[in-house]
Amino acid sequence: MAVDGVDLDLYAGEIHALVGENGAGKSTLANIAFGTVKPDAGTVQASGTIGLVHQHFELVGRLRVWQNILLGREPRRGLVIDAAGAKARVLQLASDNGLEIDPDAFVEDLPIGIQQRVELLRELQREPSVLLLDEPTAALAPAEIASFFTTITHLAERGTAIMIVTHKLQEVISYSVRTSVMRHGKIVGSMLTASTTLDDIAREMVGGEIPAVADRAPTTPRPCLSVRDFSAGSGSNRVTEVSFDVQGGEIVGVAGVEGNGQSPLADALAGVATYTGTLTISSSKKRPGVIPQDRHREALVMPWSIVENAILGRQHDPGVQKGALLDRKVARADAESIVERLDVRAASVDVPIKTLSGGNQQKVVVGRALLGEPDLVLAYQPTRGIDVGAAALVQSRLMEARNAGAAVLLVSFELDEILTLADRILVLYRGNIVGTFDRAEIDRAQIGRLMAGSK
Amino acid sequence: MNDAASVVMLIVSLTLIKATPLIYAALAGVISERSGVINIGLEGMMVAGAFTAVAVSGPTGSVVLGIIAGIIAGALFGLFLGILATKFRVDQIVAGTGINLIAIGGAAFALVLVFGQPGASKEVPSLEGASWILIALAFASAAGLHGLLYYTPWGLRVRACGENPHAVAAAGLNPLRTRIIAVTIGGALAGLGGAYLSVGELNLYSDGMVAGRGFIALAAVIFGRWTPFGATGAAIFFGLFEALQFALQRSGIPNEAMQALPYIAALVALAGLTGRVRAPAADGVPY
Repeated sequence: MAVDGVDLDLYAGEIHALVGENGAGKSTLANIAFGTVKPDAGTVQASGTIGLVHQHFELVGRLRVWQNILLGREPRRGLVIDAAGAKARVLQLASDNGLEIDPDAFVEDLPIGIQQRVELLRELQREPSVLLLDEPTAALAPAEIASFFTTITHLAERGTAIMIVTHKLQEVISYSVRTSVMRHGKIVGSMLTASTTLDDIAREMVGGEIPAVADRAPTTPRPCLSVRDFSAGSGSNRVTEVSFDVQGGEIVGVAGVEGNGQSPLADALAGVATYTGTLTISSSKKRPGVIPQDRHREALVMPWSIVENAILGRQHDPGVQKGALLDRKVARADAESIVERLDVRAASVDVPIKTLSGGNQQKVVVGRALLGEPDLVLAYQPTRGIDVGAAALVQSRLMEARNAGAAVLLVSFELDEILTLADRILVLYRGNIVGTFDRAEIDRAQIGRLMAGSK
Repeated sequence: MNDAASVVMLIVSLTLIKATPLIYAALAGVISERSGVINIGLEGMMVAGAFTAVAVSGPTGSVVLGIIAGIIAGALFGLFLGILATKFRVDQIVAGTGINLIAIGGAAFALVLVFGQPGASKEVPSLEGASWILIALAFASAAGLHGLLYYTPWGLRVRACGENPHAVAAAGLNPLRTRIIAVTIGGALAGLGGAYLSVGELNLYSDGMVAGRGFIALAAVIFGRWTPFGATGAAIFFGLFEALQFALQRSGIPNEAMQALPYIAALVALAGLTGRVRAPAADGVPY
């Protein structure tokens, strides 16, 4: 059961944070409150209407901002839409809420942060007394997050009851009045945020101690990956003549806001996109271990079993292939070793991978990338959208691969993840490396500024 | 000189005549696909319209009643496809193909029931000289659909449904109902296109008379970039090739090659467009 016997009160004028691991039932609860999911039992009552800002925005990219915001509520003149009146209404709504928006822009042309503003305005024009926000900062840059909370705090001050569904505890501590923690479909704790700490909330979420990431061991660097004058991608999301090295026994973290060239860089290094420049890999292994960004699209075949997914991409390797056929025994042994090493929770290795939780699916992806102890590991958002326990496990395995001498290139939009793991940090901004930091000289504020494009 | 002018006149008027059923069917495809339902069943809806118009025009002696019946028949098949594609989430290609088979087979069977003979109906009252009205109405329909899609609240809803039905639901609207209505309107337009073929251009129904026009119309939808005016232009383009086929009948080119012209034109036009047009994002995707 996704949500089981929950009681929750939201108060006008307060920001209430609903936290919990992936799969704890937070989004389901928000959708029940909003009305898109019908509860088996129980009631939802609100003194007014309820609005919901979705985690994955429900917008129409090829329509204009005003069309998205006023869809279903267009001002009319006779039979037709009063476009001028609609734009004026959107501008008024935006300025009432201290937001800036171009009503005529096409939504697909806007950055993620502005798209979220459109979704927010769409909900606000119905003047909800309760506003639910599902993972509102998941796709935002640090600067956008701050401005987002300014808006939300302002809304709360004017009497809206706000619930933020999130797993980012730092934001909970900084901005919420109350915090409720969900675990396995139940609310296991509700408290005033001021009277608690980040660590307490985290423990409540996980239901115990937070697993630590494996320790960093001393290593002997040796050349592994060398990139010179490397360009890839097109349009605004590209890298331009970047040069860097990743040594065996170190994790190099690429920090940056999404869309600054990470995807073309990672794709070209993984061999699935073209590039110019030189790429030298000194490795005794046939290929690097690759953890792609999007496990659904690039890493797994959802209806297939763990066994079948375990050999995906390795089907011609000696061992896996025997004559013209696949060696099912080897495939099964590989799958079982992944399950054991990454602590994958599954009934058996033969179940379709889509029946696993996101965290367990990601563990299979990571386990497969680390099979055969690759000299080079390319990890792109390795803990995206997975729970704290699974994330710590994945990060530990990457650290252990590094300790064993592998070169690890970590591309992540979560600066905290890079700060935890990396021996060296490269900051990517508009396709250029604008800063390099050794672990000893990390300056979080300076990295944040470089990510945003200032000096 | 006079000869050349009369050939041009002939080609222009033939083009308009041949383009008209394609325009109706292409507009049907546009409204359907803009709402997110791929309408492979255009051919069957045209067949239903063509046959029903004849089957009603004959016994009642009223061509107007016949045309209205043809529109209703097309709309009913549209409604059928709309419900299959939304409420029952049937694969839209399969559902549309099923509609084609039902309509073509059903018309062949009903011919025997209504007229007591297979292959073709008897001659029935038709529009004759007044068929220009349906030609003019085709262009008016294009303008009307343009206004509907781009200037009315309901049109905005249709376009949003074809791009992201979840956004429509998030706005508190019912995307399924919008899609069903859009496909039903499309069915009515395709039925009218079929009725034009049987009681506008001719005065009878014969098996195979729609002859793949529903599929050419699908090509016209893409060629016209899913817009009413674009699709109309594309339909005229394909109509021109059909007209040329008649105009050049005595030119010595084998007749079979000439008959293939519109289809070849459709194929070449589509091949040339690959990667340069963008379908509605949720076209063919069930909600």
